[in-house]
Amino acid sequence: MERMRFSVYRYNPETDAGPSMRDYEVDGLAPGMMLLDALARIKAQDETLSYRHSCGEGVCGSDGMNINGRNGLACITPLEGLGQPVEVRPLPGLPVIRDLVVDMEQFYRQYRAVKPYLINHDPSPEVEFRQSPAERERLDGLYECVLCACCSTACPSFWWNPDKFLGPAALLQARRFLADSRDQATEERLDGLEDAYKLFRCHTIMNCVQVCPKGLNPTRAIGEIKQMMLKQFI
Amino acid sequence: MNRRARGLRAWLWQRLSAVYLLAYTLFVAAACAIAPPASYDAWRAWMADPFVGLATALFFGALLLHAWVGMRDVIIDYAGALSLRLALLAVTALVLAGAGLWVLQALYSLHGR
Repeated sequence: MERMRFSVYRYNPETDAGPSMRDYEVDGLAPGMMLLDALARIKAQDETLSYRHSCGEGVCGSDGMNINGRNGLACITPLEGLGQPVEVRPLPGLPVIRDLVVDMEQFYRQYRAVKPYLINHDPSPEVEFRQSPAERERLDGLYECVLCACCSTACPSFWWNPDKFLGPAALLQARRFLADSRDQATEERLDGLEDAYKLFRCHTIMNCVQVCPKGLNPTRAIGEIKQMMLKQFI
Repeated sequence: MNRRARGLRAWLWQRLSAVYLLAYTLFVAAACAIAPPASYDAWRAWMADPFVGLATALFFGALLLHAWVGMRDVIIDYAGALSLRLALLAVTALVLAGAGLWVLQALYSLHGR
């Protein structure tokens, strides 16, 4: 693979009339390298390229982008096997600040809306709120989310109604706190999700499941919320 | 729980109607496979049976309900402007109501002969 071709979305709102794709060729690539390594080499060629990155190993969730039409984290996407030229675009549906950097405000607003923290009205215990291993296990597949926004920005329902539909990432977190044995706000949380948009714009398209870099399943979490709601309703 | 349950109720009706649509379809397919009506008159007589008639009326009721929830979902997703959305919802409601009346008339006519 040595040499690979890339086509990268470029847009600087201060100087460009509109977005465009720019082609790059990168030498000296080796098997095992990730897309983020190639982006670093592109940046060495052309330092005007902007993108976010931090931990470089799929933990911080900073470098979510659209790679050959599919959302993913550049740092854990192997170059090997990518069709060429590798088309790299910002996450779809969010406003572009510059090049591959998007404005995540809308995404975070929906995250905040689900109150992603424990609500417990008991007096604080002297140690910690204890959970049994079984109770703790119920959080598996929910707590691992790194908020990279790959799922929500792959979701057509989020594209159409990003201000009203919470999106898969926020709903996964809603389920994470609904499933927590220490949380006491189940009813308020479910009431807060009840309208035609916040939860029920999900049509189980499952793009979120397909792209999640952590292998999580927001669609299942959304189904579980609907079941909890149904139980409370009847 | 929010008394109006707008989202949940629509979703629930969609699911329930889907189950009934499937059950009725299987019922009619099975009935036709086991004892196919010999003639058009036999088919009409079978449809005029009160049980079958009620099941059929319920089927079309469920179908219209299912179509309404589905079309409403599509319109909410894609039609952002309020005026456009209201117009599309009104057209959908009119078409479905018309279809419903037509079904009632057809079912009723079975008994008129």
